[in-house]
Amino acid sequence: MDLIINLALNGLATGMLIFLLAAGLTLIFGLMDVLNFAHGGLFAWGAYSGVWVYALTESFVLGIMGALLTGLILGMITEKFIIQPVYGNHVQQILITLGFMLVLSELLKVVWGPNQLSTSAPDYLAGSWVIGEVIIIKYRVFIIAVGFLVFGIVQLVLNKTRVGLVVRAGVMNKEMVEAFGINIKKVFMYVFMVGSALAALGGILLAPYSGVIYAEMGMEFAILAFIVVVIGGMGSFPGSLFAAILVGLTGSFMTYYVPELSLAVNMILMALVLVFRPQGLFTVKG
Amino acid sequence: MKILHNRSTLFLGAALLILVLFPLFNDSRSMMILLTQVFIFGVFAMSYDLLLGYTGIVSFGHAMFFGIGAYSTGIFLDRMEPNMFWFLVSLLAGFVIAGIVSYIVGLLTLRLKSHFYAMLTLAFAGLFLVVAEKWRTLTFGNDGFTFRTPELMKDRMTFYFICLGVMALVFIILRRFTHSPAGSVLQAIRENEQRAESLGFQVLHYKIIASVIAGVLASLAGSLYAVSLRFVNTSVFTMDVTLDALLMTIIGGVGTLIGPIIGAGLIEFAHHWLTELAGTYPIFERWIIFFGILYILVVMFFPAGIVGSLRKLGQKKKAVKKQNPQQKKIAG
Repeated sequence: MDLIINLALNGLATGMLIFLLAAGLTLIFGLMDVLNFAHGGLFAWGAYSGVWVYALTESFVLGIMGALLTGLILGMITEKFIIQPVYGNHVQQILITLGFMLVLSELLKVVWGPNQLSTSAPDYLAGSWVIGEVIIIKYRVFIIAVGFLVFGIVQLVLNKTRVGLVVRAGVMNKEMVEAFGINIKKVFMYVFMVGSALAALGGILLAPYSGVIYAEMGMEFAILAFIVVVIGGMGSFPGSLFAAILVGLTGSFMTYYVPELSLAVNMILMALVLVFRPQGLFTVKG
Repeated sequence: MKILHNRSTLFLGAALLILVLFPLFNDSRSMMILLTQVFIFGVFAMSYDLLLGYTGIVSFGHAMFFGIGAYSTGIFLDRMEPNMFWFLVSLLAGFVIAGIVSYIVGLLTLRLKSHFYAMLTLAFAGLFLVVAEKWRTLTFGNDGFTFRTPELMKDRMTFYFICLGVMALVFIILRRFTHSPAGSVLQAIRENEQRAESLGFQVLHYKIIASVIAGVLASLAGSLYAVSLRFVNTSVFTMDVTLDALLMTIIGGVGTLIGPIIGAGLIEFAHHWLTELAGTYPIFERWIIFFGILYILVVMFFPAGIVGSLRKLGQKKKAVKKQNPQQKKIAG
């Protein structure tokens, strides 16, 4: 029993990290029709800058703040200098964002060196609770809580505020939103920045969870996030949460029971979705 | 047009002649090995160009076909006898596997938007990398394994000529193919997919053909690469290999075939020299960063790459020459 609970918690926590990455991807895609292949690079930058601040100030909260700030700034740079010049051309966009991913991960090695950094959770999040026979690691619960909190906040903003209304309308029909006199380009920029900040948040949260961070982890998680986005439906925010949890749980259970097949199962899931429901399990456009 | 065509054929012929004669004047072993690498990656980049440049398909998992070729050659030569027969068998095995994989991937995603193909190939390549790491009985995991190569390919000079020949052959075949009716359809798809479809072409069918041919040729390049190193490990499946193909094709010039070869030369030589420079200036250890920036600038400002931009320049000159007399007429 405690094995199953632990595997489930583990899967949920991983799923939440993937969700933070996929949420930005799917929002940006839904609104701007841009698939950002540099998203994994923002994730890795969030992790490194966050860990750096955390090590410097010995405050995990400040580390998270640093990661968020890095995400916002890098998001702005990416949107302004990488995405905007090639706006509207899909092939160029895909190519250029992957190139930026390459530059980001190489720059990471220039700034912090090619070796992996290690870190651990702060005291108040370290350790575990023992309930009966079940041991629950605190940090996992923390990640899950943060994930649901982010989901709740974004969902609230999307559904209850005017900004959210504009974003949702933009996902459905950009031209119409523009016709109402709203500067959609500004909205694009803000959504991009928020999406990047979420990716960076995912990065810093991963750092104490896995213990070490390295430059290639951006790409590894980005692949999982792409799988999630395809399964959940490109542009669907709740879809990405559902699919992220699904991918996280299958990953965690398969790694325990049939480790050889863990990535393959996610690929098969994605292939099935592509064959039978290429628009994804959840769709925005009717 | 005829003159231009003849001139470019002449130029290519001269370049080929120089490369054929090169080993006679050259006694630097490392130079010959480097050029052999350029030929192998030239084949790989050309196969990528067929996808990206001629059909407009973005693949981020081209390394998997390269790796399939490399591993099938490595495994066959290691487990069987290291002779030409088993080398050819391994080539064939690589072709079949690469063909089947590219067919399945193409069938799954080529009917959807370009994003899907890019994402799925990326994920598939990741899967192949994991399989190569985990299936230790077949691949010896991360460390890879060395193997003996056929007698004929042991000599570096012979292998140089083999690779040069393969590259020239692939170039001619791809040139014929891209100028064939099927090749024109591919270019029509790149320019305007809906239009090609409404003209009655089975777009998916043609895209899958391009994807399979590109996969098979990439596997060929992978086989040669394994023989050139006499060693194979999981690095052939990594993202870096795909990025190499991307950089070579984009910087050299998409949709030109000769561009990717030039790109392969550029990247391989730069890699060689900049790694040497890294001894004195540590910044060059991250030499790929310069190419990343160059790549972004090329995508943004010169989407046609080196060869494409040069061609455009040539055409402009010709157009100006042609236009001038007319302008005079209008003015007069």
